[in-house]
Amino acid sequence: MRRLLRANKSLLRLVGLATSIALFPLLVSNPYYLNVANIIGLNAIIVVGLTLLIGYAGQVSLGHAAFYGLGAYISAVLTVSHGFNPWLALILAALITSLIAVIIGIPTLKLQGHYLVMATLGFNLIANIIIVQWDSVTGGPSGFPGIPPLKIGSLSFDSDGKMYFLIWSVLFVVVLLALNLANSRVGRGLKALHAGESAANCVGIPTSAYKVKMFVFSAVLASLAGSLYAHYLSFVSPKTFDIFFSVELVTMVIVGGMGSIWGGLFGTGFLTSLPNILHYVDEYKDIFYGLILVLILIFVPEGLLVSASSRLRSKRNPGENHGRGYDAPTQRPENCLSCNCVPHYPFECLDLDIMLREPILRVHNVSRGFGGVLAVSEVSFDIPEGSITALIGPNGAGKTTIINVISGVNRSHHGHILFAKRRIDCLRPYEIARMGLTRTFQNVQVFDNMTVLENVMVGMHPKTNSEFLISMMRPPSFTKEEKEIRDRSMESLIFLNLEQSANSPARELSFGDQKRLEIARAIVSDPRLVLLDEPVAGLNMTESFEIADLILAMRSRGMSVLLVEHDINVVMRISDKVVVLNYGTKIADGTPQEVQNDRDVLNAYLGGVL
Amino acid sequence: MVDHLPQFIIAGLTTGSIYALIALGFCIIHNSTGIVNFTQVDFVSLGGLMMYTLLLGLGLPLILAFILAVMAVTATGALVERLAIRPARSRAVIILIFITIGTSILMRGVFKVLWGKNQMGLPHFSGEDPITLLGATLLPQNLWIFLITFLAVGSLQFFFGRTRMGKAMRAVSFNRRAAALMGINVNLIVLLSFALSGALGAVAGIIIVPITTLSYEIGVMLGLKGFAAAVLGGYGNSLGAVLGGLTLGVLESLGAGLISSAYKDVIAFGILLLVLFVKPNGLLGYGDSERL
Repeated sequence: MRRLLRANKSLLRLVGLATSIALFPLLVSNPYYLNVANIIGLNAIIVVGLTLLIGYAGQVSLGHAAFYGLGAYISAVLTVSHGFNPWLALILAALITSLIAVIIGIPTLKLQGHYLVMATLGFNLIANIIIVQWDSVTGGPSGFPGIPPLKIGSLSFDSDGKMYFLIWSVLFVVVLLALNLANSRVGRGLKALHAGESAANCVGIPTSAYKVKMFVFSAVLASLAGSLYAHYLSFVSPKTFDIFFSVELVTMVIVGGMGSIWGGLFGTGFLTSLPNILHYVDEYKDIFYGLILVLILIFVPEGLLVSASSRLRSKRNPGENHGRGYDAPTQRPENCLSCNCVPHYPFECLDLDIMLREPILRVHNVSRGFGGVLAVSEVSFDIPEGSITALIGPNGAGKTTIINVISGVNRSHHGHILFAKRRIDCLRPYEIARMGLTRTFQNVQVFDNMTVLENVMVGMHPKTNSEFLISMMRPPSFTKEEKEIRDRSMESLIFLNLEQSANSPARELSFGDQKRLEIARAIVSDPRLVLLDEPVAGLNMTESFEIADLILAMRSRGMSVLLVEHDINVVMRISDKVVVLNYGTKIADGTPQEVQNDRDVLNAYLGGVL
Repeated sequence: MVDHLPQFIIAGLTTGSIYALIALGFCIIHNSTGIVNFTQVDFVSLGGLMMYTLLLGLGLPLILAFILAVMAVTATGALVERLAIRPARSRAVIILIFITIGTSILMRGVFKVLWGKNQMGLPHFSGEDPITLLGATLLPQNLWIFLITFLAVGSLQFFFGRTRMGKAMRAVSFNRRAAALMGINVNLIVLLSFALSGALGAVAGIIIVPITTLSYEIGVMLGLKGFAAAVLGGYGNSLGAVLGGLTLGVLESLGAGLISSAYKDVIAFGILLLVLFVKPNGLLGYGDSERL
């Protein structure tokens, strides 16, 4: 029963929200409070979009007041000056706003970093000045009056009470869609790119496209709120949409709790009503407002609602893990190869035919420099299908550069790379991941804002299809896919012996377990080739052998592996083929025995004493 | 129109110097903490407001008022760090940035109560007899602005390049943790960077106010332009900040003179957008690369 309640916590909250929406006007008859409630509702529509943008995608916009203003002014001008139907005007406003958001979003979100916040700040200032100066169209600083109310048939939304139901119904639908999006493949993808953009891209998430889509969606919500605002108040003026309001909107997101839609709603209610409460201290209003804001941010940075609810939860069930419950199967499958005994790998058992198989990956004459230094120069080698190929060499030999070039993180300057007979050297990391080539990282890159299970679920991204609209609407195909993602991810965790930690936050795992988690994430989508960048570095001997065991198991599942590793014991025992790099060039390749007897290799490793 | 070109350029370099000083303040704090400090705009306002009180309210001599005003804002900068940034329980950049935004709202609220909402003015440093130079008319105040900006940038350059403390600040900006391990007191460096930014903001506010009007929020627009200048120069790069400030000032002034003065600010922020779209790391910036 408790589990059922927990799973439907969101549902319960939604019912609660709906009930309080319905009851509020019955309890409150003072139109002043209805007016405040309406403004809270409008702000909340914007804040829900911003919460997804900031808390999930990790991008801050200081331009949402301008999108709000665009919606309001386009609706006003089209209906009053050009006689458009208000609903048509509302849709056109949303379309124009999304176009502008695309124009701002594409160049700035293509890059990693906080370029969006600077660009949107500039955009908001510009938009505001244009609204003030272009008075022949916008009415200038004195504003734009006489906007008609919205109508459905003979029902005219011309009072605070009627508008209340319209605004809060819209908000209710928006919250529902946002919650659906947050708990979906797309939501996990956004959280992943927030935690580590390059890593997310390598896992198969089209990071730039996701950021742009999220930004545009949030801008459209702001425009929608703006159109409603214009028809509600029948008057718009530029001051409502200045940069300070943009700042206030972001503050609402943060004060409530950045990663939570409910937190954003709470923050909106709190900060929108605060000036009305501070009304009594008139002259000192700004001082109190600033002070309250600073105190909350200093002492409750996780947000008021998030802090309160986590305190409540830890009081109620101490020691319980966060995250959604999943009944971890306790029985291990028969074929699981990961066990605690120290295995032995006699050379004879290696399948020498592997060397003769078709290559799954061909690296041909690849060079890559950084600044003036050539990290890798004209390196060529093949990875036979179904083999474990090791890439070894002293520090600075260019091993990680090769992995970065193959996975698309860095572009090669010369040469080409064929994966499954297709050129991949001009593709982006997420496109390469979609083709069935995944990787792990030398510096562990788990998404530390998610649970262990969710981390692996992100790994299913290349194999699944539900995008933004589907994730929000949740047709049956979505639920089916979501279940498949969950089941496959759990299998992958069991394969790596991590199922006990499925619902723990990934950041709480030990270093060794984080490395295993990365492998689980890389193999969950059944890739054809996995690049492992130093999977046993920093692990003790038992852990190393376990990983070695696992790599062999991956091979027997049909995956090919490229292994970059310093641990020669592991490399020589499990590899079918070894490629040796030194100073960015290949000095040898062949079977482990061939390489061990190679003169150049001995020189490189032992400094030419022989 | 073309006859006025030297005039526009002089005007642009004047406001550009102010933007440069403000941009430097943004950069110094960015380098020591990784955040954008929005109280920078209030340091500018406070510089002008303190100067007003000390010079006209208390009747102190110009130089003394100047020095005391700068010192007061320097102390305010340090206070902001001690009271708002250091006690913060989260080190997340976005939280710290919004703490500075909240502090900025708070400071402006205090200024409004103490100095009122009225417009004020300050006398020029040394008379208002215009000087003609290369076809442009300029006021002695323009020369003061150039001179003081030059001195401020020069001494900052000396500080970062030659002094132990300046080098420590640079070390912290490159790698906070490694600097701390080398025995540099990072907290002190952060405190110092806020103080230094306060001083730069104050100087900018004090020298520009005589040729514009003073109000409790005079720093807001200037400060946002200073921010744009910092982005233009490659955020965090101090040479870039100076170059960005001067470029922005001149382009804005030319745009206002040759195209439309009503859209002056649109031109300034349009340049910001253009830079972000075309050369996002600024005129002198270079991108970071992540190590995987």
